[in-house]
Amino acid sequence: MTTLITKTITKICIPLVSLFSISLLLAGHNNPGGGFIGGVMFASVISLTYVVFGLNYTKSFFNPSWDKLFGAGLLIASLTAFGAILYGNNFFRSSIKFVDIPLYGEIELASATLFDIGVYFVVIGTLLHIFKNVGEDK
Amino acid sequence: MESFTAIILAIFLPFAAAIFIPLLEKFLKHRIGWFAAGIALLSFALIGIVAPEIIHGHIIQHSIEWMPSIGAEFSIYADGLAMMIGFIASGIGVIIMSYSNGYMSHKEDLPRYYQYMLLFMGSMIGMVFAGNTLQLFIFWELTSITSFMLIGYWRDKPASIYGATKSLLLTAGGGLFMLAGFILLHTITGTYDIATILQNPAIIENIKAHPFFLITLILILIGAAAKSAQGPFYIWLPNAMEAPTPVSAFLHSATMVKAGIYLVARVHPIFSGTEAWFILVSGIGIFTMLLAGFLAFRQTDIKAILAYSTISQLAYMMTMYGYTSYHEPGLGVAAATFHLLNHATFKACLFLVAGIVAHEAATRDIRKLGGLRKDMPITFIIASIAALAMAGVPPLNGFLSKEMFYETSVEMGHIIGGPFTFLIPAAAVLGGVFTFAYSIKLIDGIFLGEKHHGHLPEHVHEPPYTMLVPAAFLAGLVILFGLVPSIPVHNIIEPTTAGIVLEEVHLHVKLWHGFTPALFMTVITFIAGLTIYTRYDSIAAWQDKFNARYPWISVNYYYDRIVDGAKGSAKGFANFTQPGSIKLYIYAILFLMVILFAIPAFMMATQVFPANLNFDIPPYEALILTLMVIASVAAATLHRYLPAVIALSAVGYMVSLVFIYLKAPDLALTQVLVETLATIIFLLVIARVPQTFKEKIPKTTLIRDIGISFTVAATVLVLLLNATKGIAPPFESLSHYFLENSVKLAGGHNVVNVILVDFRGYDTLGEISVLCLAALGVYNLIKSRGEGE
Repeated sequence: MTTLITKTITKICIPLVSLFSISLLLAGHNNPGGGFIGGVMFASVISLTYVVFGLNYTKSFFNPSWDKLFGAGLLIASLTAFGAILYGNNFFRSSIKFVDIPLYGEIELASATLFDIGVYFVVIGTLLHIFKNVGEDK
Repeated sequence: MESFTAIILAIFLPFAAAIFIPLLEKFLKHRIGWFAAGIALLSFALIGIVAPEIIHGHIIQHSIEWMPSIGAEFSIYADGLAMMIGFIASGIGVIIMSYSNGYMSHKEDLPRYYQYMLLFMGSMIGMVFAGNTLQLFIFWELTSITSFMLIGYWRDKPASIYGATKSLLLTAGGGLFMLAGFILLHTITGTYDIATILQNPAIIENIKAHPFFLITLILILIGAAAKSAQGPFYIWLPNAMEAPTPVSAFLHSATMVKAGIYLVARVHPIFSGTEAWFILVSGIGIFTMLLAGFLAFRQTDIKAILAYSTISQLAYMMTMYGYTSYHEPGLGVAAATFHLLNHATFKACLFLVAGIVAHEAATRDIRKLGGLRKDMPITFIIASIAALAMAGVPPLNGFLSKEMFYETSVEMGHIIGGPFTFLIPAAAVLGGVFTFAYSIKLIDGIFLGEKHHGHLPEHVHEPPYTMLVPAAFLAGLVILFGLVPSIPVHNIIEPTTAGIVLEEVHLHVKLWHGFTPALFMTVITFIAGLTIYTRYDSIAAWQDKFNARYPWISVNYYYDRIVDGAKGSAKGFANFTQPGSIKLYIYAILFLMVILFAIPAFMMATQVFPANLNFDIPPYEALILTLMVIASVAAATLHRYLPAVIALSAVGYMVSLVFIYLKAPDLALTQVLVETLATIIFLLVIARVPQTFKEKIPKTTLIRDIGISFTVAATVLVLLLNATKGIAPPFESLSHYFLENSVKLAGGHNVVNVILVDFRGYDTLGEISVLCLAALGVYNLIKSRGEGE
């Protein structure tokens, strides 16, 4: 699987797919996409790297602790849910705000997007945590 | 400071301090115990702030909103009863935690020990000041849980684990009965608030006349009896002695076991003045008092003797709280309350002595101990004071409350009349005789007689002051309460009794009050006690012989059989539901799926195959579907892993093509990604296994699996055909709601995403939590594989 062709293609893919996954995440509220899809996409490009370049080589320059990532994701998601209570609303009540940014125009800030970011982290974290550990297993 | 704030602080300060103990331990090291003792002292002082108000007959009540939906408030109800037990819990807490500084070795896990101690103390104080029954239940169970953790403090000792489990099963289990009783009480009265019930005679009358009266009473009493080790539930307390001795002194003699007595006192105004109350409460009390007092004889461990004595002494209180009549519902309340206070002092002191003896002489076996009076004279004096108080010898405090016990027993006997005029006082005296005998045994067995040099160290020393002073302080209280009873009586017993009988109370307790029947009974007690003491060892031997011959005449026998039986059947059930074969799991899932899909499909479909099916399939669709069928057949029939996996993923990609064709981009994207990941995982796995299937599949298995596949496929087909035709009623599709409100309520145009993160965000939160757990589970499975198998 580690031919020159796959290596070259993977190198091109990594930045493109990563950016695409983030755009999927942020676009999710109004267009196709969302935290889950974005997360799976990001996880697949990293696992592609693991497969093509080998786990040990990849780990030598890129080795985040995925367990912390999914922990953080779960924290963000639950804090979003609890955040509504701070504003006197019921648990999980979502809210939307439209903010005008100069030169760019109006953007929509939704608490649901924050929740989706939590989902995104959880999906990436859990999938890659499992992959890495299964891969390391002798 | 406002009274309410002071009480809230007294409850929650120990909880808050417990959180910071591990952090503080870094700086204070083994001196952390003094910090814990300081917190207990603070709680004691905070209760002291509100004490004058309560002593003057004021009841402090305050509530804040807690669970308005079920009508429960977080409320404080501070009367004399709550104040007394609050004082005992925090005051004995100070003494015990100071003593622990000497008792607990510095090598022990001290933060954990003091954390549990403080958590327990906070729970206990929270329980007695609880103003509604649900709150009382929560703190009640918290004391059970902290007790469980303290009994099991030495985690590697099987006996600790056994004792901890037993206490949790019985006390926390009993608490559930109590909760059921409280809920029935709510059904009758419509309130969880204790003050509302206690302060409305009409409500109490209503309870007494209600058909649920008896069952409510029984349920609450089961909770109380389990907690205070009464009746058949006594069995957990002797095993709880596996805890470190300060824990036994604190929880299992002075405070936690008093929780049941507290409950009886708390509900006393509601249920007393009835036959049921007397028969049940005094009945359990007298039975337990005699049984436990008698069984104390065959114990050889001094802590076990103390445990049985505690059970028996708690039964005294139970009996006295049970004494009641129509005209005087609170007949025994003052006596019981006084004994509760006295018992907390002399019994905690005796436990501290037991700890000192075990610490210095390295054994708790009364057969090996003896003659220590010369080696540790101060301890000897302290122990004698406490043991004589327990035996009821004047002028110590135990004498006073025992006299009151005899007095009320005579009165109660008169009220009932008939043979009971004699029987009830006789039972009380017999209980006193047993108490006298084992109290003397404690002094004689440990300190008097000859020293057994073979079993004991050459020189047994007095303990350090950190251990001696707390014990001496308690012994001082024993003498003080005995000589000047007016101090505790006016400041503690009168307000407490007033809190229970709900009217003002004036008591006159004196050391000498003439030649009364009670004095006569005391004399009989001493003579009979000494007589029995001469036969002490032969009684113990007879008990041992009896136990060996009839092992089934014991509650423990049945407890062990039930618990072992439960463990066995749990194992059997686990083996049945988790056989460990993936194939069986899949069969089970598919079987259920077929059943659950087929039933509604057949119930609701007008016909199995709808008549107006549209067979006009466009060419694209036909092409995709044909390829899908080919790929599926290939995946099932190919004999090498790699091509089979590729064929399988081809099916998946075709499905995503279908999604695109049906204009569902979200689903298509997800399908492509998941399929890709699944293929990668497959490839990773098959890189390590042989490339071809080795064994041939037997014909029967093949036929069975094909049969299952077709059944599942047929079910899904029928379901889908009917679903797309809209077998709507009785259910209405939710999709209209989501489509209409997606933008309106959630401001999102992607309905699928809005459903996931907004409308059903709670589900998603649950799902991602499961995902995290799964990742941790996989991690643990992989990492722990090397250790087990």
